[in-house]
Amino acid sequence: MTATITKTTCPYCGVGCGVNVTVPNIDSGLSLDNIPPVSGDLDHPANFGRLCVKGSSLAQTLQSDDRLLVPTVKGEAVSWESAVDTVSEKIAQVVKDHGPDAFAFYLSGQILTEDYYVANKLAKGFIGTANVDTNSRLCMASAVVGYKRAFGSDTVPCNYEDLELCDLLIMVGSNAAWTHPILYQRIVAAKKQRPNMKVVVIDPRETATCDIADLHLAIRPGSDAAVFSFLLQHSVDVGVLDSAFISRHTNGFKEALNQATESTPTLSSVANFCDISEQDLLLLASWWAKTEKTVSFYSQGVNQSASGVDKCNAIINCHLATGRIGKEGAGPFSITGQPNAMGGREVGGLANQLAAHMDFATPGAQELVQRFWQAPNMATENGLKAVDLFQAMEEGKIKVVWIMSTNPMVSMPDTAQVRRALEKCELVIVSDCKAHTDTTAMADVLFPATGWSEKDGTVTNSERRISRQRGLLPAPGEAKHDWWVICKVAKCLGYQSAFSYRNVHEIFAEHAGLSEFENSGKRDFDIGHFSRITKEEYDALIPVQWPVPKGRPEGTKRMFEDARFFTPDNRARFIPITPTLPIHQATPEWPFTLNTGRVRDQWHTMTRTGDAALLTKHTDQPYVEVHPKDAKRLEISDKSLVRLTSPYGEALLKAKISRAVSPGNVFTPIHWTLQFANAAVVSNLIPQVADPLSGQPESKHAQVKLEAVKNIAYGVVISAEPLQTLDFTYWCRVPSEQGYHYEVVWSECENVASIQAMLEGSIQSQGEWLEYTNPKTHQIRLAQIVNQRLVSVSYLHPAPESISCDWLESKLMNKEALSDLDRMAILVGLPANVEDKGAIVCSCFQIGTKQIEKAIKEGVCSVEALGSRLKCGTNCGSCLPELKHFIPIKTELSA
Amino acid sequence: MIDSSDSTRIVIVGAGMAGSKLAYDLLQENNANYLITLIGEETQVGYNRIMLSSLLANDISAVDMPLVNTNQMKEEGVNIISGDCVVITDPITKTLCLASGRTVKYDKLIIATGSRARMLPIEGAQASNVMGFRTWHDVNVMADLDAKQSVCVIGGGLLGLEAAVGLVKRGHLVTVFHRSNWLLNRQLDSESAELLLSRLQTMGINFRLGESPTSFVQSEGGLVTHAICSDGESMAVNLVVMAAGISPEIALAKAAGLKTNQAILVDEKMQTSHPDVFALGECCEFENQTFGLVAPIWAQIKVLINVLKGGEAYFAIEPVPTKLKVSGVNLFSVGRVEPIEGDSCIFFKDVGANHYRKLVVNDGLLVGAILYGNVADGSWYFQLMQNKTDVSDMLELLVFGEAYCSPQVA
Repeated sequence: MTATITKTTCPYCGVGCGVNVTVPNIDSGLSLDNIPPVSGDLDHPANFGRLCVKGSSLAQTLQSDDRLLVPTVKGEAVSWESAVDTVSEKIAQVVKDHGPDAFAFYLSGQILTEDYYVANKLAKGFIGTANVDTNSRLCMASAVVGYKRAFGSDTVPCNYEDLELCDLLIMVGSNAAWTHPILYQRIVAAKKQRPNMKVVVIDPRETATCDIADLHLAIRPGSDAAVFSFLLQHSVDVGVLDSAFISRHTNGFKEALNQATESTPTLSSVANFCDISEQDLLLLASWWAKTEKTVSFYSQGVNQSASGVDKCNAIINCHLATGRIGKEGAGPFSITGQPNAMGGREVGGLANQLAAHMDFATPGAQELVQRFWQAPNMATENGLKAVDLFQAMEEGKIKVVWIMSTNPMVSMPDTAQVRRALEKCELVIVSDCKAHTDTTAMADVLFPATGWSEKDGTVTNSERRISRQRGLLPAPGEAKHDWWVICKVAKCLGYQSAFSYRNVHEIFAEHAGLSEFENSGKRDFDIGHFSRITKEEYDALIPVQWPVPKGRPEGTKRMFEDARFFTPDNRARFIPITPTLPIHQATPEWPFTLNTGRVRDQWHTMTRTGDAALLTKHTDQPYVEVHPKDAKRLEISDKSLVRLTSPYGEALLKAKISRAVSPGNVFTPIHWTLQFANAAVVSNLIPQVADPLSGQPESKHAQVKLEAVKNIAYGVVISAEPLQTLDFTYWCRVPSEQGYHYEVVWSECENVASIQAMLEGSIQSQGEWLEYTNPKTHQIRLAQIVNQRLVSVSYLHPAPESISCDWLESKLMNKEALSDLDRMAILVGLPANVEDKGAIVCSCFQIGTKQIEKAIKEGVCSVEALGSRLKCGTNCGSCLPELKHFIPIKTELSA
Repeated sequence: MIDSSDSTRIVIVGAGMAGSKLAYDLLQENNANYLITLIGEETQVGYNRIMLSSLLANDISAVDMPLVNTNQMKEEGVNIISGDCVVITDPITKTLCLASGRTVKYDKLIIATGSRARMLPIEGAQASNVMGFRTWHDVNVMADLDAKQSVCVIGGGLLGLEAAVGLVKRGHLVTVFHRSNWLLNRQLDSESAELLLSRLQTMGINFRLGESPTSFVQSEGGLVTHAICSDGESMAVNLVVMAAGISPEIALAKAAGLKTNQAILVDEKMQTSHPDVFALGECCEFENQTFGLVAPIWAQIKVLINVLKGGEAYFAIEPVPTKLKVSGVNLFSVGRVEPIEGDSCIFFKDVGANHYRKLVVNDGLLVGAILYGNVADGSWYFQLMQNKTDVSDMLELLVFGEAYCSPQVA
């Protein structure tokens, strides 16, 4: 046998899809280069065989040129022993000199539950600090606090099936079409089957998700809570309250209703506050009133807000008031963005949690956990949440930070502050599988970590489903599992017995043991069934939804079916809400409101998706979406370079003129880092404003100004080698199959000689030049050939234009000598008589705009017909919304 | 033999390309009643002069030389007189006297006497081993040279370079003197000429650019033995080939009292100052221009045939592309290759592949082009110029040729 199929879980979003990977038997001589594309696991209840483009491209990300392979201290490669000694000595010293709170972990929703568990245990039980926070703070901390305020526990009531069973789906602050494509596809399929199912999207932007919306409320940014305050009142007005549920299972209804009535007294006041029409609001209210099976589906648009928790509770209030919770097709459903944000919550891997869904404030919890862990140095109060943590670092209070599997130099708001904080910190330890990230650049000690496909453990998805991520490939170089490194440091600090796990399943079993320890139904999180799990059972674990208490191995599909909540009196709580807008509003100096989010085919800071060339085809560069009115006024043309400035920093992005944003609003994606572009880190612009309860930063809101960058020329540089110097006004490296592809902006005064000089200084090899100059079109194009091999191509144009570079990239370091015509074609960008596909729309089948337009011109008039003709949209389906847009536009034109 | 009193006697003086082709084409005019006489001073008649370079270079052989089928012409009644030349023309009596003493009467006289190599007035150049490169005979002289002779070619224009290549291919040591600083300075710019120069240098030709010999040293027997260079260097030579331009052959016309300037003045009907006398080819001048390339001459023949029939036809000057007939060297040049005010130049340069393109555009029109290395698009560019096609929408890809631009045209 030369290959085995292994089931594992996707490392990207919170949907947690099952993935089948065919792993070649390395002993049989098969190279890792030849790993076939992964496929969706037909048996996994999250995706039933489907995968999105990102998931489908996982095989392309298994090998990276940029893996961190050995431990380093101050840039010098060292042994694991030496690196661990360095770290342990420093931790011991600062704890001794300054107390345990001088140390902090900053973890990630990408590490596995077992990694999380030992980190949390080490910090909170052994070092004695609750300074354990995580990038999940940036993602769903508000949702956690919202649930806890309402239910007394961080319990997601719903499951994915509810999305298919509901009759009304209200999607708030979620562009699921791009961020959770497989859930979105399930919703699309359900709506197709039951056209009466209504979908409402509440989002300031018109996103791809609006494609299936029966109603889109393009609300004023941050005004979400008012919509739900109105629905609460409306439920009273039209008499759809579940009075029995309210009286038997809840507290605080009257106060919540009063506050809603006070803060948003009338239809018109809400419509004004939200900047939407009264008719639209009433339409939503009428559907809400008559639809028992309603799911409110919310994500970062709700959570990333200074009033994120209140927004969550405004939503939950409505569900409690109508008893639409704990029932099939009904409930307030927070969807997480990361593969294991939920796992982190379960172990308590956040600064305001203790462990296993217990808080420091939970009566008896500290003592219970201390006994279970046999912990010598229990932390006794909440630690610092992300923003406070980095501020304490800058203030010199935190002296050692251990950052694991995350990139705060890109994801935390106000990057300049994060830089100051890390510079101030005496020891910055970074565990990562990548050698070069914006954060590894700040590290004193680098620990090479195993990555997805090497790690072994569990993750929990947005519907509480625990799935295995399985180790498929050997660890490269000296990379180690995060849990192994944490335990190694713990033992070095003197905690031998508490961290002497031989295998990862022992950690999982202990985690399960803590979850059931003196629980007896008091705490929602109980996976006691697994407390004695064997390695074999662990390896064979099938995806299951917690709680999985002893005696209920099948897990729990839906929570609160018994309407018993985890508050002391088992009643859910209404929370009085006053909708508030973001503190920072437009001023003459900062007139634009910036919103941020994801693009379809990238994930987080591109440390993995950036390895797959295919995933750049949909969106190759960062951009700022600007309304045509604003663009016209500011003389910004499509794809031209724009400078965004806020009081905190600046960014240079290409404009995308679009009516998807309202005038006065702009949108930019979050993914691009200094590894990929010179000035596209959007967090630069964002203030460190956070929700006072959840500590979640308002990363989707900043006030900025825009200006067109003048006196520039646009172009592209494609090179066989990475450029040593990137002396451009703007550059963005677009991951490519072959060589290095940079989209660039030059100063307009560049000429052939200056470009040649720059490239000659930037590329090792020197050779002959091909040159195209056209003063009529102000174009300069150069190519460099060394020993018959193409090593670089540079184009300079006066205006931004899209150049398809696939063919050029395929010619880099060509094996066969180039014909004269090929050499000329290099300065054209494509060989003569070759079809120009245009910008790629369908990444799966590489179908581009020009092919689609051609098919439509030739009479194709539906998305289905496009699919049967070109195959586009027939695999992952994530391009279907865009495909749809081709059809009406064309119909209008031909009409 | 057709000899009818109502037929028109057409006499063509000069049996070079223009004269021979005219005679041949007139023969194809079915309805006309012509009695054609073709008189040539060379013994070979009706050959393709353009091919002399290839013949010299041994790229072709004598059988490839004919331009027209002279045997067929004779059979069909053309009176071909070769190796004889006209010495007196009398337009009053419409009679020609030949060197051999024969007289020939005509109704319509066509002068196609062509041109001679221009012999530069360099001291010592009057010698039997100083020759032009115009005729089959010249090729034969060069072909009969002893092996490894030192040849000095004066002139780095089309003809000079073709001669130089032919001679170097025959194993001779060739030095080209060229007054301008770059070769083919009327057809190329300095950059493309640089490519050509290095190509020709690799073929073994030596060049002295920006320079002419100051004098020639002759032996006692009156043969040139040395060329004296401007830096005083004395270079041994066995043969000098003058290829520094041509002089229209107009002695006969002048003697006949026809109006001449540089050449015989003709109007748009190819008519000279005498109504029954016409001129065409290299010996004629129209609108201050003389003609050295074949395309306008073919156009003149068409006009003249029509005019002789009494039809309406007018000659007009069109841009004409030039190509160098050296195997392995591809160049194409047409129109205005040095920009004047208001022109823009689009360049493609691939020195490594010896590929160079320069287009001169003005106000949406292509007005000049140089192609070196790959000339496949030459005819397309020429067409764009002839048709005065608006290329404004093609400017971005124009220099890359028809394959990239034609979809936009369609």
